Amino acid sequence: MGFIRELTKNRQLYALAIPGIIFLALFSYIPMVGHLIAFQRFQPVKGIWGSDWSGLANFEFFFGGQDWLRVTFNTVYLNALFLVFGIGAALLLAIFINEAGSVLLRKLSQSLIFLPYFISWLVVSLMMLAFMSSDGLLNDWLGRLGLEGVNWYQNAKLWPFILTVVYVWKFSGYYSIIFMAAIVGISNDYYESARIDGATRLQQIVYITIPSIRSVIVVLTLLGVGRIFFGDFGMIYGIIGDNSILYPTTDVIDTYSFRALRQLGNFGMSSAVVVYQSIMGLATILLFNRLARRIDPDSKLF
Amino acid sequence: MNIRKGMAGTLALLLTTSMLAACSSNGGTDAPAASPGSTAATQEGKLDPVTLKIMIPGDRPRDFDAVIAEAEKRMADSLNVKLDVVFVPFADLAQKTQVTLSSGEPIDLIFDAPWLHITQQIAAGSYAQLDDLLQQYGPNILKNRPQEMWDANKFDDKIMAIPNGVTFVQGRVYYVRKDLREQLGIAPIETYDDLIKFAYAVKENMPDIVPLLPSGQDVSKGLSEGAYRRYWKENVDNVMPSPVLPESLVLYTKNNDGKIYNLFEEMEPSVWSWIENSRKLYQDQIISQDVLAIKELLEPAKQGRVAIIPSNEFGVGTDTQQALKSVNPEAEFEAVTFMNEEKGAILTNALQYNFISVPAVSKNKERAIQFLDWANQKENYDLLAYGIEGTNWEAVGDNQYKVLGDGYAWFPYAWIWNPTLDRQDAAQDEETSRLDAWSADVGNFTMDVLAGFTFDSAPVVNEISQYVSIEAKYYTAIFNGVVDPDDYWNRFKAEAAPLAKKIQTELQSQIDAFLVSR
Repeated sequence: MGFIRELTKNRQLYALAIPGIIFLALFSYIPMVGHLIAFQRFQPVKGIWGSDWSGLANFEFFFGGQDWLRVTFNTVYLNALFLVFGIGAALLLAIFINEAGSVLLRKLSQSLIFLPYFISWLVVSLMMLAFMSSDGLLNDWLGRLGLEGVNWYQNAKLWPFILTVVYVWKFSGYYSIIFMAAIVGISNDYYESARIDGATRLQQIVYITIPSIRSVIVVLTLLGVGRIFFGDFGMIYGIIGDNSILYPTTDVIDTYSFRALRQLGNFGMSSAVVVYQSIMGLATILLFNRLARRIDPDSKLF
Repeated sequence: MNIRKGMAGTLALLLTTSMLAACSSNGGTDAPAASPGSTAATQEGKLDPVTLKIMIPGDRPRDFDAVIAEAEKRMADSLNVKLDVVFVPFADLAQKTQVTLSSGEPIDLIFDAPWLHITQQIAAGSYAQLDDLLQQYGPNILKNRPQEMWDANKFDDKIMAIPNGVTFVQGRVYYVRKDLREQLGIAPIETYDDLIKFAYAVKENMPDIVPLLPSGQDVSKGLSEGAYRRYWKENVDNVMPSPVLPESLVLYTKNNDGKIYNLFEEMEPSVWSWIENSRKLYQDQIISQDVLAIKELLEPAKQGRVAIIPSNEFGVGTDTQQALKSVNPEAEFEAVTFMNEEKGAILTNALQYNFISVPAVSKNKERAIQFLDWANQKENYDLLAYGIEGTNWEAVGDNQYKVLGDGYAWFPYAWIWNPTLDRQDAAQDEETSRLDAWSADVGNFTMDVLAGFTFDSAPVVNEISQYVSIEAKYYTAIFNGVVDPDDYWNRFKAEAAPLAKKIQTELQSQIDAFLVSR
């Protein structure tokens, strides 16, 4: 009963949450019913409630082969690289820009690093092809320096590195804005007293700036961790496409199942993959949240 | 604690109410469709007005509205149909049509194809059977397509979609840079050996030009250099992909004997020689070193950076030629083919590449077929296929036409294309017209014993999806010579052979049953 009383007492405040709750219900909770399709021989005409149940048969195609371990590893490995270097670079950028003296320089660099975020993956992939094809710009430069050209698109080992660089280039500007917002919120008093005590700029960064925005860093990391089993399909498929030579290091769960199912168009089997990703994602986020709570109870997500 | 329980309760309540809301709004969409859609005629043979919703691939031509207005005017006193045509860009076609069909959105005519998802959609029950409707309302649709075409394009002996096509084999050519060939003093290319000699000459004399760019993409693996060779004269055994995976040579048929062969069990010598040849071409840097990374062959070709690319149609596409000339006015592509033009040498399954279907949810099935039948009459076909006469095109004789301007792009394949009413582009060169006419005459080809066979993939659906994902790791790399063929073939075989065997066994048993029933 306490709940109802609470609700009536603060009804204006709770009313503010209604649009958000409706949005979540419509786009996050109701679609979860779709997970049932993973356990069905789904036929669109019969619908979710009319299709026959098939147990775990839809999971066989994915777990029956040997590739699922490799693509799962690639997904987690690439996403971990993106997360660590993406957030790391964004943090550095945010601090550097913040330390820059001139306002004009600050605004200018802020806009410039934000720009790649708006470039679509398809355009990025065309740019990369012009840059890294066997007779592309990069090999041209290497040639002028007297170095041997590299067959970038035939060399799978290089690609976790290349993709990380591209990811950092594209997203660090975006994340750095979030960090900058947090940095701006730090009270100037801290810095003033630090300066009076003779702290250098580096010391101010290490002992004031970073600890003050620690919870923002942890929350962004935790959110990233929750999606660690979901490969960035637009990015990987846009850049790698059907280049099978690069699959050993770049094939992620999403591109793998897309290729396996694009001819069959089977809803049940694709849902089975999503169920796998969701369950693993839930498990990791619970694990990392527990870790975060143990290390620093203030920055846990829930 | 109490609060949490209560929260869960409200959430649950919210969930259910919004679900109910979703359901009722779903029901609501049916209401307008229930309006008069029957063929009940009012006075003077004029039918009740109906708007047909049609979904086809491509881009909306600039003058489309004028053409539709004219069509609606012509139908106003008889069929009384209004047309709501939705164009879906090719890149979104598979997803958009699939979502439309599975959501039960009321559509009256929709494009589908074997290379899209027609068999899956038929298996899923998305389309209405058309035999009776065509008998009753579609005499012109039936008449315009030869009986062989109908027989071969049934699904389980039922007409589930109307085939839109004019040919019995698809054209296969190489685009060759004519200007470069003449510059190098090489005579017109007649054979595959000529072609390769030309490629080596380009490599030697023109370091900035890629000699040969096949397709390295899994979706167009038939255009991989090694696999493309099967279209040429030297393929005397008619080695062809099996019906289950229509681009892959791993499971294949030959000599039209109704048997499925398996490259993993016994390597076909000709296929292996094609693979080894590709390997040599790749190592000699004749085949582009980035063949697997390039997604669209035509782009570098249009920029004038490639001497030879494969292409799926006779003749050179006008837009490609124009784009190339805008980069370099001297440059020009010519199309060469090495197909075996001897009568009966090439097999045809008469399977068409484009279809139009009536979704099961349509409330206007009769009217949809009546409309198509109307569009299958000559003057109406001319209107929908070529646009307004005098503005978009003009007739040249009875079966040719000349394009005027660029207001109405050619897209009859999407809904009405047929061999009886099709006009040839008068601007085409003679060789292309001759080849088009050749491929449109069923008498030039031998009927494939598997014509009309459709594979039911349900019993081996897991094996197929696993196999397909393994094949994607190796096929285009091996058939374009990017990797060492011995090593990679063994790896491919180790992973995929058991799956291929299961698919082969199931396919063979379905084929045997099909052949017995014939």
